[in-house]
Amino acid sequence: MKDNLKDILSNLNPDIDQETLLLYLQGKLSPEKQHELEKQMLDNDFEADAMEGLQSMPNNQNVSFLVEQLNRDLRKKTAEKKSRRDKLRLKSDPWIWVSILIILLLIVISYVIIHKYLRG
Amino acid sequence: MKPGRYDHITDEQLLSYYYADGNQEWIGILLERYTLLLFGVCMKYLKNEEDAKDSVQQIFLKVLTEVSKHQITYFKSWLYMVAKNHCLMKLRGGPNKNLQELSDNLTNAPDEDKNGELLENERTYTLLEEAIEELNEEQKQCVTLFYIHKYSYNQIVEKTNFSLSQVKSYLQNGKRNLKLLLEKKLKENQTKQ
Repeated sequence: MKDNLKDILSNLNPDIDQETLLLYLQGKLSPEKQHELEKQMLDNDFEADAMEGLQSMPNNQNVSFLVEQLNRDLRKKTAEKKSRRDKLRLKSDPWIWVSILIILLLIVISYVIIHKYLRG
Repeated sequence: MKPGRYDHITDEQLLSYYYADGNQEWIGILLERYTLLLFGVCMKYLKNEEDAKDSVQQIFLKVLTEVSKHQITYFKSWLYMVAKNHCLMKLRGGPNKNLQELSDNLTNAPDEDKNGELLENERTYTLLEEAIEELNEEQKQCVTLFYIHKYSYNQIVEKTNFSLSQVKSYLQNGKRNLKLLLEKKLKENQTKQ
């Protein structure tokens, strides 16, 4: 009894994993596990709000597919940003500028030498 | 949502990796942990699947651009606030200055167990039992079935004929009232001593 009463006062805010939430949504958890999750949700506004939203969907069986799709888009986005940043880094690399300068110098020098040689 | 190879890394660690090298893929991994929750919150406010999907993507973008401007301590709470603000803004049809500004630490600390001392105190439980008796009939019934008999919401619905939303609200309000009643009783108790 005392242990049960303890639950009313505690506010432990443990993280609930997405897999468990999905199983709950699909009604695949045992009553004990349902109770456990519901107890945690009473202290977690984020999870409680999300569950309310998910339960309001007329067809929530394809939620995991939706989430996977959103995650794929997100991965694309972060990879894009990364490659763009890498490109920018390449542009600002001082060695690139040094190499370009050396090549230009070489072209000028060879032009001058060839020009002199042809005149001579 | 298969278990990933980053599962052992905490949110805080992922954030610190991002702050160290600026690689947004760390934030991506972090956000993936909350996609379902974000989608659920957007569904709650916007009540439309397509709008909710769009909003989750917009929230992702917002986080990816905003995260470097803040030194975030509790990512989950910060993200919840970003998501709620986004939905409310969308419902009001544009940016609203009255909304809570994004900042680093406000409301970010998760509610920690502030009742440590209370929990240790034997007297607290007697007072709590008294407080349960003082709740209104519906709240008392739901709190007892939930916390003492450990029933799930569905089981309480079956036992009581309340609707699911009624059960939830009786429990939420019951829990809040219990804490208030208990605080009052503890104060009275202290003055008596």
